[in-house]
Amino acid sequence: MANPKPGQPYADPAWRWMGDRAVRVVTGTTTLARYAMLDSGNFEEIEDIIPADGSILLIFRPGTVPSAGLREALVRPVQDTVMAESREHVMRVIFGGESGPDLAERAAGAGLDETGYVRRLTATVYTVAFLGFQPGFPYLAGLPDVLAAPRRSTPRHRVAAGSVAVGGGYLGIYPAAGPGGWHVLGRTAARLFDPAAPAPALLRPGDRVRFVAESR
Amino acid sequence: MIEVMRAGLCDLVMDTGRPGWRRLGVPAGGAADPAALQVANQLVGNPPDAAGLEIVGRGPHLHFPRGGVIALTGAPFRAARAAGLTAGWNQTLVLAASEILRIETPDAGYRCWLAVRGGLAVPPVLGSASTLPQAGWGGHRGRPLRAGDTLHVGRPEGGVRLMRAQAPVDRGDDAPVRVVSGPQSAAFDDAGLAAFFGGRFRVAAESDRRGLRLAGPCVTGSAADWPTQGVLPGAIQVPPDGQPIVLGWDGPATGGYPVIATVISADWPRLAQARPGDRLRFQTVTVDQARMLVAGDTWTVSEWA
Repeated sequence: MANPKPGQPYADPAWRWMGDRAVRVVTGTTTLARYAMLDSGNFEEIEDIIPADGSILLIFRPGTVPSAGLREALVRPVQDTVMAESREHVMRVIFGGESGPDLAERAAGAGLDETGYVRRLTATVYTVAFLGFQPGFPYLAGLPDVLAAPRRSTPRHRVAAGSVAVGGGYLGIYPAAGPGGWHVLGRTAARLFDPAAPAPALLRPGDRVRFVAESR
Repeated sequence: MIEVMRAGLCDLVMDTGRPGWRRLGVPAGGAADPAALQVANQLVGNPPDAAGLEIVGRGPHLHFPRGGVIALTGAPFRAARAAGLTAGWNQTLVLAASEILRIETPDAGYRCWLAVRGGLAVPPVLGSASTLPQAGWGGHRGRPLRAGDTLHVGRPEGGVRLMRAQAPVDRGDDAPVRVVSGPQSAAFDDAGLAAFFGGRFRVAAESDRRGLRLAGPCVTGSAADWPTQGVLPGAIQVPPDGQPIVLGWDGPATGGYPVIATVISADWPRLAQARPGDRLRFQTVTVDQARMLVAGDTWTVSEWA
């Protein structure tokens, strides 16, 4: 059994310390289910939980150690099912042209025309795997393999707010303007992050997202 | 009220940060050495999490039209008050009406913190007064101070006591920065591990609160794509060019490069004082040792005798 006691050698490959304040737990395909379980557990010692690509980082409050209850929760089996509280969002996107400067190149790379590429992209329901990079930036899982593309070799200095982009096997949406290395396919007018709102991020881990193409 | 006559290099309103929002991609931020800000607050009779100013590299000139009670902690900067008065560090300072505090450059170290009795009054964002400059929100208008800005001060509670503080023992600029190895040290080859744990690295000029960029021997290892993972301040990522990046207080919540080692929390204040051009080397400790070290590094505060 994994035992995140300080100083314990890494007996179980399923978790490892990142410094003295955080533990990285390997979760594989059960990341969202494990995240939901740990988040609802209200463990006093946890300051933050960051779900990511096949792992979760638990950050502990200063001076605390993982409790017995948390250690037990880390190894308790979880079902890889849709989270109960997940919501579905429909994002309206203008694809191509000035809104999506990389669409033509990505379509050609996939052996499709722009219309065919957008049709494949909008036919899929995506899941918010996790957020990161910028406040409210979602990593959307479920991208068909043919649409995946490695990051641009040279990042752009400025990507517009609302840009929908592909990076590796994920779709992402830039909540704010800034530099970015993903291929920009289109743009949505949806506001993804509002720090003054009670729920500042529009999308949460586990939410489902569909895209609808709007005319330019 | 405080009037900014001249802005410093990057003066940011900071409190102890906003932990709890990293799952939405929001860094915890806050003072780079939260204990130093908390002590400064204690010296002026504020709650420990009151908002103050984080000053880096070169400080501001501040006008206090109605005077005020302040304290400075962290790296000692050259600083001047009215004629005949010293802007001492780690002690309660009482400023007269219309006094001007001129903070210049540090002789050693890089950052200091200024607390003002009553605390700086800014609208909280996600529960914190801290500025997140790259997002453009938090603190004073989401940005560093500018000449001509006016900062408002909150209503103080309780009486003033003159106090002074003693900082934890400084281990010296040449002492190694202590790290816990991993979690991805296995992603590096023997030459890469030797380069990292045996080498000296220079803090590069393009470093900021998001990360310290290091220049030095090439840390070689797997160039394969790495799955994105949650990260925290102090995590040392190595991109394919082999030049490590120590993630900072406003660094991203997730990262896609392998983490070779992570700076222990007892040495995060040391990172706050690393300035471009400084040389750093690393030493491995265990998690147990790291936890004992952080418990031993404490400030002491006493009444002014």
